Amino acid sequence: MEKILKELEHTQRQTTTRRFFLQQSIGHLGAMALGGMMMGCDVFKGEKNQNETLSQLRHFAPKAKRVIFMHMSGAPSQLELFENKPLLKDLDGLDCPKSFLEGKRFAFIVGTPKMLGPYANFEQYGQTGSWVSHHMPYFQQVVDEVTFLRAMHTDEFNHAPAQLFMHTGSPRTGRPSFGSWVTYGLGSDNENLPGFIVLASGDAIPSAGKSIWGSGFLPSQFQGVQCRSEGDPVLYIGDPKGMPRDLKKAAIKTISELNRVQHQEIGDPEIMARIEQYELAFRMQTTVPEAMDITKEPDYMHQLYGTTPGQNSYANNCLLARRLAERGVRFIQLYHADWDTHGSNQNEALEIGFVNRCRETDQATTALLLDLKQRGMLDDTLLVWGGEFGRTPMAENRGGKKAPFKGRDHHKDAFTMWVAGGGVKKGFSFGETDEIGYYGVKDQVHVHDLQATILHQLGFDHEKLTYPFQGRNFRLTDVHGKIVNEILA
Amino acid sequence: MLAKGKLVFFLLIGGGVVLATLTSWLDWGKSRVDFNTQIRPILNANCTGCHGGVKQQGGISLLYRESALAKGKSGKPCIVPGYPDQSELILRLRHHDPDERMPLKAPPLTDEQIALLANWVKEGASWETHWAYILPVAITPPSVWSRWPESPIDQFIYKKLDDEGLSPSEEADRATLLRRVTLDLTGLAPTAQAYDAFLKDESDDAYEKVVDNLLKSPGYGERWAALWMDLARYGDSQGYQKDRHRDIWQYRDWLISAFNADMPFDQFTVEQLAGDLLPKPTTEQLIATAFHRNTSTNDEGGTDDEEFRVVAVLDRINTTMEVWQGTTIACVQCHSHPYDPFPHKEYYQLMAFFNTTQDTDRTDDRPTLRVLSDRQKADFTQALARFSALKDTASLEYKNACRDLDAIKPSNTPIMQELPADSSRRTFMFVRGNWMVHGDEVFPQTPKMLSNLPKDYPKNRLGLAQWLVSPQNPLTARVMVNRFWEQLFGIGLVETLEDFGTQGAKPIHPELLDWLALRFMNEHQWSTKKLLKDIVLSATYRQSSVVSADLQEKDPYNYLLARGPRVRLSAEQVRDQALTAAGLLSQKMYGPSVMPPQPDGVWQVIRNVVKWRTDTTQNRYRRALYTYWRKSSPYPSFVTFDAPSRELCVSRRIRTNTPLQALVTLNDPVYLEASQGLAGQMARSAGLAPTENIRQGYFRLTGHYPSSERLSLLLKYYYTSINHYRKHPEDVRSYLTMAAPKTAQLAALSATANVMLNLDEVVTKE
Repeated sequence: MEKILKELEHTQRQTTTRRFFLQQSIGHLGAMALGGMMMGCDVFKGEKNQNETLSQLRHFAPKAKRVIFMHMSGAPSQLELFENKPLLKDLDGLDCPKSFLEGKRFAFIVGTPKMLGPYANFEQYGQTGSWVSHHMPYFQQVVDEVTFLRAMHTDEFNHAPAQLFMHTGSPRTGRPSFGSWVTYGLGSDNENLPGFIVLASGDAIPSAGKSIWGSGFLPSQFQGVQCRSEGDPVLYIGDPKGMPRDLKKAAIKTISELNRVQHQEIGDPEIMARIEQYELAFRMQTTVPEAMDITKEPDYMHQLYGTTPGQNSYANNCLLARRLAERGVRFIQLYHADWDTHGSNQNEALEIGFVNRCRETDQATTALLLDLKQRGMLDDTLLVWGGEFGRTPMAENRGGKKAPFKGRDHHKDAFTMWVAGGGVKKGFSFGETDEIGYYGVKDQVHVHDLQATILHQLGFDHEKLTYPFQGRNFRLTDVHGKIVNEILA
Repeated sequence: MLAKGKLVFFLLIGGGVVLATLTSWLDWGKSRVDFNTQIRPILNANCTGCHGGVKQQGGISLLYRESALAKGKSGKPCIVPGYPDQSELILRLRHHDPDERMPLKAPPLTDEQIALLANWVKEGASWETHWAYILPVAITPPSVWSRWPESPIDQFIYKKLDDEGLSPSEEADRATLLRRVTLDLTGLAPTAQAYDAFLKDESDDAYEKVVDNLLKSPGYGERWAALWMDLARYGDSQGYQKDRHRDIWQYRDWLISAFNADMPFDQFTVEQLAGDLLPKPTTEQLIATAFHRNTSTNDEGGTDDEEFRVVAVLDRINTTMEVWQGTTIACVQCHSHPYDPFPHKEYYQLMAFFNTTQDTDRTDDRPTLRVLSDRQKADFTQALARFSALKDTASLEYKNACRDLDAIKPSNTPIMQELPADSSRRTFMFVRGNWMVHGDEVFPQTPKMLSNLPKDYPKNRLGLAQWLVSPQNPLTARVMVNRFWEQLFGIGLVETLEDFGTQGAKPIHPELLDWLALRFMNEHQWSTKKLLKDIVLSATYRQSSVVSADLQEKDPYNYLLARGPRVRLSAEQVRDQALTAAGLLSQKMYGPSVMPPQPDGVWQVIRNVVKWRTDTTQNRYRRALYTYWRKSSPYPSFVTFDAPSRELCVSRRIRTNTPLQALVTLNDPVYLEASQGLAGQMARSAGLAPTENIRQGYFRLTGHYPSSERLSLLLKYYYTSINHYRKHPEDVRSYLTMAAPKTAQLAALSATANVMLNLDEVVTKE
């Protein structure tokens, strides 16, 4: 009896997810776009396969409906933000022991570098007593909402490959990005907006370029759509000057009518799909600018986030992220650049550039978390914060010389990220590093593990969300990844 | 009569059966169980995942006959030929205990499948080589009872249609046919004059004359170079991090010239893969080797150049195997191929061909060839003559001449060069694909399954290239013929252009594929133009693409070709067609890449090393393939129309249909300028008579005059527009961005032209 019940439940879940996917994908792609996709893609070929695949796409009930990924590109120093290492203070200025350097590869450190004490004051905050430095006075207030991953590690110690690794699961270019995988699997929740939106701030944007939100070998409609704070929020979404809305509406109507005539004569269903896409495009011309317009937000919202409409700022992007999340966008990718703190010039100095990056982001990050919480959206929105790797406890000594400012080299073996909402624990800390924050000593989390866990929260088995390319089924987590069950609520 | 019977069968059962019937068609007339069509699919779908090249659970691999006949860890023989009841394979499939039954933790195979496997074992369990690894053999096209076929191609197509109870469609109307063949052979839509001339020419060979002229036109080389640029992962930048400029456009020009000269494909292959190893290579032959210098270079500080040199070398292996062999081999970097017969070691034997070049992931892309192209030399001579004749150093003419002279700069094309023999690299296997962990040393050798390198061939890239185009190679001609076919019909004879292996799609017309491959190699001596002419002259190609509901249901993807191709234009074609209709398209060929309008800020997203400087000269209206290609931020409207980023080799652009595409052709300044250009053409050809203007505009785009229903819809929109613009002269001034009389009529005509540029019949090859 129990077995039958289980079977029944399983079947029902399959049909629900299948119907769900069909609705979403039809909304998102247009029924025939899906048809077009089927053509090029083996997993969709043939009726039987199609059903198997659709029911396979989401594998169980999700905890999170959407993700907001705040990527701090350039890699912020965990030793100045979340990792309180008093011993490192004592070691400041001493030669790094040889044993720490044997067999290691660094981006810039040569010979014997000096240890560098933290340029930060740490205190404990919240019920949980989490350590946060004075550089993040706002974030201190919300530590009880987040799970810290203190022993993150990655495979790559250069920016472009490490960013690619974080976003595509591979250090090389050409693979689909995180958001592409998610929208490939889930479609969008809002048929008038793209499912995967990218917002970038800062002067020098991620060094890996647009590949980190590209669709790789997935069909191109799954690539991230970059929304911009200046110019058209989505490329070509604005009507040309001298083309008023009602005239554009008449144009779309005329195109649709003419295409219907064509369909009557030719019979190709792709024509009907095109009609739908044009009508969707017309609607998007209203919905996207409306979603991207923060001027109508009340003053207290601008105070909460620290926003000034019209700027290309991280704060504005955080507020936009909340607006897009409200409207059902599935994967929102924020980038804030220039965290690369080598100490080689002012902007790369812990004392100057780093402090500025903290000021640019601390209030808005915190505001986004609080705002989602007060709207009841934090429960099903997964927030992810972090860089592509961490930084060394040693000072950088490029060319064997002492750097003019305080700075640290790239470090792949230990860094801190945090996640919040979307079914992860509140006020939790996972993972420990050694006394100087050089290596994880307990509960290490690899980038592929984090990816597997995020996919899990969205309802995917990361080993089954695959796409065939170059003779094998590729996935975000390559052939690795373990779900970090310990952090799940 | 038999055909009619089958037609009824189809009507009853519906389209889902088409594929199944196709598969079974392959088996008709054979009484024995066929390994390739009946057994291998079962093994691949259910068994080789755990008992193949990667995993050999229980010590069993079903990839090769030898290993399948061996005993597993259990000590029992997996297969005893002739005796299914003694074969562990069959016993385990039939086992009643789910813990013992195969496949483990999966539903059991059907009784039919097990019976098939048992019969096959009983018949001796013969292993056949996968079809793609067997050399094509000469086939006589089937005789058919029909007047329809005009060429052997049609005989093959007709035979299959007849077997499936279908009949071919009638020929497309002349204008549609002219547009189709012009787009296919040159990437451009016909001009109004070309339509006029063809529609008037009543001679029997009018179509063939058109085809011959198109094959001779310079646009031919540009169109096919664009295809090859995806395969070559061509870009004007280095790929990683700052993604700096790379001077490699001379390679693009080499491609155009090679296609226009109809360079035989074997020579085309050898020059690109090993031009530098030919005796006394010419400049052009060295430029050709830039094919494999399109790999990404990592300029990021602190990166290990050796690591990224190795990445580039591996990419050269994967790309070569995909482009010429339709073989996906990237997975063999880490382990033997899970499904296809390529052992781990063979990957590194291929690597040994590519591992001895001088390039080392340097920011300056050395080794490079610093030369002026022939055209630059001609331009230089001309500009110099002009300059020398001028006396007045203050004149504008003098300044212009100076500027022109300055603009001619030699380029540094990255090329392939071997290391000297005494300092060459040795090649080792990488343990589990890790470049830092070396295994056994290996030497250049081609995969055994595809035939080893003949003894008298040089053991270097030249030998490899010669092997690829030798009669012993089973794949190259098939793979190439299939690429050309896909470009014309929208779907390959083997749908997976990139994978001819056992996991790829089965050929729909295997005999036709082989017939074309042999014809390409032998009769045509690798002439691409002759091959394309064969195809476009066929009755198959010339069919109308109108589809009945019935046919749509039976064969939605047009595998069987009971109708002509109907597919959306490529990114390049959408743009070039609009500029052609507008009379704006520049005829200029070759040279450094150009920068047509791109929205501000697109490049600011990545590090601002190179700036986008929108061209104001005729370079603004060059053909799409000359557009500057930055790999980390390719031209946005092309990406929207499914162009790949070209970071890796991509064989097949997957066509999508999205709202972002509509936004491009509605709002991108490129298309607004094209609309204005087209409006100007419409006004010029018919004065200010809206009906006639619209008729002419529609004709320029499609070769047809609009039906009265279409005409009235377009006219209605025109009058809506002109009413608006008469009342709002300020909108007229802002809408008309190009130099032209700012009249309400022209604004309304431009808006109407834009509607026409967005019609399905315009963005589609019909």
